[in-house]
Amino acid sequence: MKCQRKSAIVATALALGTIAAHGAPAIDEYVTFSGFGTLGAAHSDYSLADFTGNGSQPNGAGYSRSWSPTLDSDLGVQANLTLTDALSGVVQVLSRDDEDGNFKPAVEWANLKYQITSDLAVRLGRIVLPTYGDSDIRNVGYALPWVRVPIEITYTSTATNADGLDVLYRVKTGPVTQNLQLQWGTATEDLPGAAFTSNRVHVVLFEDTLQYGDASVHLTYQRCDPLRFPPAQLVLVDAGFTYDPGAWFVTADSNHTHDTYFGDLISGYISGGVRVGRFAPYTFYSAAHAQSAGTSELKSLGEQHTVGAGVRWDFAKNLDFKLQVERVTIDTVDDPAAFSNLQPGVRIGDKANVLSLALDFVF
Amino acid sequence: MPPVRPTMKHSALGALILAILVVTQVRAEEIVVIVNPAAAPISKEQLADLYLARSSALIPIDQAAGSAIYVEFYKQATGRDSAQIKAIWARILFTGRGVPPKQLPDSEAVKKAVAANPKAVGYIEKSAVDASVKVALPLN
Repeated sequence: MKCQRKSAIVATALALGTIAAHGAPAIDEYVTFSGFGTLGAAHSDYSLADFTGNGSQPNGAGYSRSWSPTLDSDLGVQANLTLTDALSGVVQVLSRDDEDGNFKPAVEWANLKYQITSDLAVRLGRIVLPTYGDSDIRNVGYALPWVRVPIEITYTSTATNADGLDVLYRVKTGPVTQNLQLQWGTATEDLPGAAFTSNRVHVVLFEDTLQYGDASVHLTYQRCDPLRFPPAQLVLVDAGFTYDPGAWFVTADSNHTHDTYFGDLISGYISGGVRVGRFAPYTFYSAAHAQSAGTSELKSLGEQHTVGAGVRWDFAKNLDFKLQVERVTIDTVDDPAAFSNLQPGVRIGDKANVLSLALDFVF
Repeated sequence: MPPVRPTMKHSALGALILAILVVTQVRAEEIVVIVNPAAAPISKEQLADLYLARSSALIPIDQAAGSAIYVEFYKQATGRDSAQIKAIWARILFTGRGVPPKQLPDSEAVKKAVAANPKAVGYIEKSAVDASVKVALPLN
């Protein structure tokens, strides 16, 4: 299955390259390259487990080593192709510490977009899966106010893209703009507590985003049906808002996940910050709470809560530096959301103090 | 020694310096938003929506990022600085939703692009306006 997927993507990329070459006298009008990355280092004082940057990372800071440069570091390169007024394509290759434990570059997206009308578009290929409010930019540090998206919110669904089809529709009613998205495809999920066992799932996603001036609200419904073991059907509802008038912002996201095998979980975060010259200090609170067990009878997967604060400094063009401190309280010994490599001796109520430094860039 | 009286030469020089200061001050602040002569006028809210990636009704054009007119335009039209704008467009670009506005080197190039495309919108100094484009909105 993996082999078939890769050659389909290569074929698409070659086809796009050929079309572009025949159509264009000047290639840079049709193809633009851009990229993003983060150099990060994180330190955790809790030596009984590794604090990780997302649910797929096998190692982190704390147990394996006191300082980890792999948590937040990543590099993404993207090619945007404009073939005609209506047809465009995008390919993004991302390198970050993932479930394989290395920085092997992987094709994050490779899709063609056809703009049917100015409000309606369809995409085909490997497409970003916008499960949570910020999940589509979770790898782009420069676009985030924090070092990373609060981990509790992304715990239940690790898939970041899906191979398939989606439809995008924009509706404008007076000053309110509504963006609707409907997506079908297959994705890869990493199971909580067994981060190296990838599971292929059928995914259906529906998202509605309402924007009014500096305020926006979103609602997402996602359903995953596994193609293999375990027989867990996952239904996820995510809702959040952001208000950002420029000089300050407040944002929150919440989700409820119903998983027939792993149980029900509710998680969320709230965050606010201000902008003072080139500095943007912020604070956040995030939490994950298990509501009921599924057929696996694991009762309290993922539970933890975090209080954090930090500052972002836009010190130069296309660059920013962030310093973030957070205190994570472990509320379960069954796979707390931000931790891996749990050692005997982990107790409910244990706290980890984490210091993160990050240098984000775009080019 | 007789007191020094202001001569005609002194007054003229002073007036000239004052005039230069006034003119350069006024020129630095006067930016106008231009559209194609065939296009409809736009409001300040619509302008902010276009340059903050919230609307694709028109095609926004930028001048060189970081240039004085770029910084001044975004301050007046959106209340945000260059880094915030870059982060907003980074989000659009790196989520596959679109590409940031094309950057043209100077007001002449912006005028040519807007005159050639009925869906284009750009910003130039007020003094650069001519009959090839229409002023949609002054900014001050």
